[in-house]
Amino acid sequence: MQEIQEKINQYRLKFEEEAVRVRDRQGLEALRVQFLGRKRGYITKLIENLKHLSPEERPLMGKEINELKTYILAKLEEIKHNVVKTQKKVSHLDLTLPGRQIPLGAPHPLVKLQEEIESIFYQMGFSVEDGPEIETDYYNFEALNFPPHHPARDDWDTIYVEGREDLLLRTHTSPVQIRAMEKRKPPIRIIIPGRVYRKETPDPTHLPMFFQVEGLVVDVGITFAHLKGTLESFLRRLFSERIKIRFRPSFFPFTEPSAEVDISCLVCQGKDSRCRVCRGSGWIEILGAGMVDPQVLKNVNIDPEKFSGFAFGMGIDRTAMFVYQINDMRLFYENDLRLLRQFNRQ
Amino acid sequence: MRISIDWLSDFIDLDLSVEELIQMLNNIGLVVEDRQEVEGDTILEIETYANRPDTLGHLGIARELSAALQKPLKEQHWPLVEITEKTSDLIDVQVFVEDLCPRYCGLIVRDVAVGPSPEWLQKRLRAVGVKSINNVVDVTNYVLYATAQPVHAFDLAKLAGSKIIVRQAKKGELLRTLDGTDLILSPENMVIADEQKPVALAGIVGGENSAVTSETKDVFIECAYFDPLSVRQTAKKLGIQTDASYRFERGADISFPPQAAWMVASFLSEFKGKVTKGLIDVYPSPVKRRTLILRHHRIQELLGVDISSETIEKTFTALEFQVSQAQPGSWKILAPYHRVDIEREADLIEEVARFYGYDRIPALFPPLRQLEPPPSPLKKLIQKIRQTLFHYGYNEVLNFSFASEEEISLFSHHLRPVSLRNPVSSRAALMRTTLLSGLITNIIYNLNHGVEGVHLFEVGKIYFWKNELPCEQLTLGLVSTGLISEKQWSTPQESGDFFRLKGAVETLFSMLRYEPLSFAAQDHPWCEPGLALNVKYKGESVGFLGQLRADMATKYGLQQEVWIAEFNLGHLLSKQPQPFTLRHLIKYPVVIRDVSFLADKDLRYSSVQEYLQKREIPWLERFELYDRFTGSTIPPGKVSLSFRFVFRHAERTLEAEEVDSLMERVIKALIMEFNFQLREGGKIDK
Repeated sequence: MQEIQEKINQYRLKFEEEAVRVRDRQGLEALRVQFLGRKRGYITKLIENLKHLSPEERPLMGKEINELKTYILAKLEEIKHNVVKTQKKVSHLDLTLPGRQIPLGAPHPLVKLQEEIESIFYQMGFSVEDGPEIETDYYNFEALNFPPHHPARDDWDTIYVEGREDLLLRTHTSPVQIRAMEKRKPPIRIIIPGRVYRKETPDPTHLPMFFQVEGLVVDVGITFAHLKGTLESFLRRLFSERIKIRFRPSFFPFTEPSAEVDISCLVCQGKDSRCRVCRGSGWIEILGAGMVDPQVLKNVNIDPEKFSGFAFGMGIDRTAMFVYQINDMRLFYENDLRLLRQFNRQ
Repeated sequence: MRISIDWLSDFIDLDLSVEELIQMLNNIGLVVEDRQEVEGDTILEIETYANRPDTLGHLGIARELSAALQKPLKEQHWPLVEITEKTSDLIDVQVFVEDLCPRYCGLIVRDVAVGPSPEWLQKRLRAVGVKSINNVVDVTNYVLYATAQPVHAFDLAKLAGSKIIVRQAKKGELLRTLDGTDLILSPENMVIADEQKPVALAGIVGGENSAVTSETKDVFIECAYFDPLSVRQTAKKLGIQTDASYRFERGADISFPPQAAWMVASFLSEFKGKVTKGLIDVYPSPVKRRTLILRHHRIQELLGVDISSETIEKTFTALEFQVSQAQPGSWKILAPYHRVDIEREADLIEEVARFYGYDRIPALFPPLRQLEPPPSPLKKLIQKIRQTLFHYGYNEVLNFSFASEEEISLFSHHLRPVSLRNPVSSRAALMRTTLLSGLITNIIYNLNHGVEGVHLFEVGKIYFWKNELPCEQLTLGLVSTGLISEKQWSTPQESGDFFRLKGAVETLFSMLRYEPLSFAAQDHPWCEPGLALNVKYKGESVGFLGQLRADMATKYGLQQEVWIAEFNLGHLLSKQPQPFTLRHLIKYPVVIRDVSFLADKDLRYSSVQEYLQKREIPWLERFELYDRFTGSTIPPGKVSLSFRFVFRHAERTLEAEEVDSLMERVIKALIMEFNFQLREGGKIDK
């Protein structure tokens, strides 16, 4: 028994000595095996030696051995904790180096704005329609109540197709309204985004091609009040709940009454008489709209006594210029990556 | 249209500030686009509309304000110095084209002291931006800007004979206009002529041969109504637009010529003129005022607000309409002659809305009675294409749909391009037949701005003739050149290459479930020989990818390699993709076998791929080429190919031995078929 007791003390000292030297996981594991190993561990051997003791001595020494084992286990756990901690501390990886980046492509701002507009109208129960860009005079003008040779056509400078009197590049997406109404009967609730063309020499605010979105609602009992409600909701969602909106009379051959829709200048709030965006007026012209002209409805065999509707249109480029405060529309078609890439973050 | 507030005050008392006035004009649809303070006056630039020629003069604007303010116009007086000589004794007006000139008024003013205009008149003309010429011409311009009625003055002495004839021009007849332009006329042109020659292009411009000059004594004043369409066609054809033609082609007030003539005569009386007795007024078929019916309930049905009868009647009366009850709930309304835009009930409802105030109409959301059909799946597919390409680092661009002759011939195509009759420039003379030319131009632009890698795509249409019909085809174009990313410390710099582009394309179509997509090496006219692939889906070609021909790149000033691809999205997306089905997960493990071969260098990978796919090897879940190299350790003319085969059984765990014996057969077959050699150290991995 004397012998075992000595060994217990000896092992405890040895353990304490060795424990101090442990620096890493391997050392820790070696120490554990040395003392608690299932075959040759010191503690295992001590327990084996118990059988040589008398039955009275056995529980005494057993208790001593157990105490040592518990002590070692606790100490090992403590060392493990320290080892993990120290190992982290000694890492030489400079985590302040920049992360590895994968270059992402960026969307075009006009497509992005168009998608935003589409998504607002989807929420309001609209669908999206599409149609040809090379159009006939009938769909682009006549069906929309522009008689041939009418001076109103002068406001829509037109590019014509060579060799075909009747074909032109659509000056607005309105021909798709006609096509949609020919295709199906009311209720109709659609928007039509797309490319349109005008015979304009490029300058900061005019281009021979740009993007437009138009909308059309036809049903029984549609009123000017519905036009106002729809466009107000749309504009507030697109810009801000806080904008002011005003409707004022205007003229388009295909609507009657017609309206121009202005929103309050988001840049100066009407407070800067020299504001470049609103030119000091405090208002930005953003949309053209109106009740569908009864003649247009007749042209597509919809009875204007039974159905009524409203239509509206806005330039996507022009709106984007306003939203991003870009003062030259040509920038959208230069496709400068320094500009485009910023729209990843928008 | 420039409007002087001073001038407006001749017609109506305005006791409101300029700001209030602008606000009021805006509210009734006369948008003030600009304002200037000039010589103690305020000049407003007002936007006018093609259907409202009555607003092309100060009187018209005053009428609108009169209705808005519910305040009558001032009465006008036109005192004259008259002589007893009868106008009709001096001149005979004959209108040969009554339909084109339904009304023609004339008056003669004798002994006018032609000279510079008095200051007040010059100031008025300055206000509207018109140059002062002499007092007679200035008076005609003054009346035009005051009333929107064009007036013309002839030097009576220069008219041959005693007739004014309104007729068609004779073929080849000549006329030199006031500004010295020589016109060759044709019968579609209406002229004012004396007994020998044309003296004016009707409603458009006067002739030099009858112009009022400082020598002029007697003046013949013309106030007429000319047919809008005729004036417009002649003006367009001859390329002349004047203040007069601008008004006539939009429609003048047919009731107004006499009044305008008296106005001119009254002013000329102030310059010592004496007015002959009696106005010549050739007006054989007087036009009646347009009569319309307005139903009260239609106002609420279209505007969404109930407006009282009293308000409605007051509005029309103030606008010089004649209103009477037709039946209970509806009115009979006579439009004034100057309102050529009022043709239908809808036009009347607009007047009610305008003067009631758009801002007083409530804002409501239209009830959704029925759901719209879902949008075309195309939208979603394009969205997915864009998202996938963004992940691959491709940036989205938009280019104009136009192309130049050079671009079309450089990117020669079997497609017949659409030419434009009146393009904005020669660089935009046709519609594009490819997206690539624009995309390559974008590359140059960005390289010139210091970007080292340019990877772009556009989704847009190309245009061409197909069986005499214009055809528009939705297309995806991709271009890629230079570095993929900026320099980074942690990764070696990588340049874009063919396989990166191909990878993007493969991923793209796999995301859309257009599978299997087949790639066949096939030369393309825009690609370097041997560096192009034709892409097919279900046996039909849907596009190509490859390296842009170096000589084409050079034409754009590009020296580096450019990878290009173009796909017919319209065609592809009209096809049914593979249905999306979820594959159930198999719980049994895979067995992987890697094997390396030496193969002949000119062996096409696709032949191995097709061979393996066709053999339908049991349990083979997939195989991939995970390494390919040549070098000092590989014999010349050979290449090392390493494949990984992944096996899995759906219902049980595979035994290593059965996979090994299967693999041995596969290896033998590959060796036989492709003259492979099993690589040393590339043995079956147990």
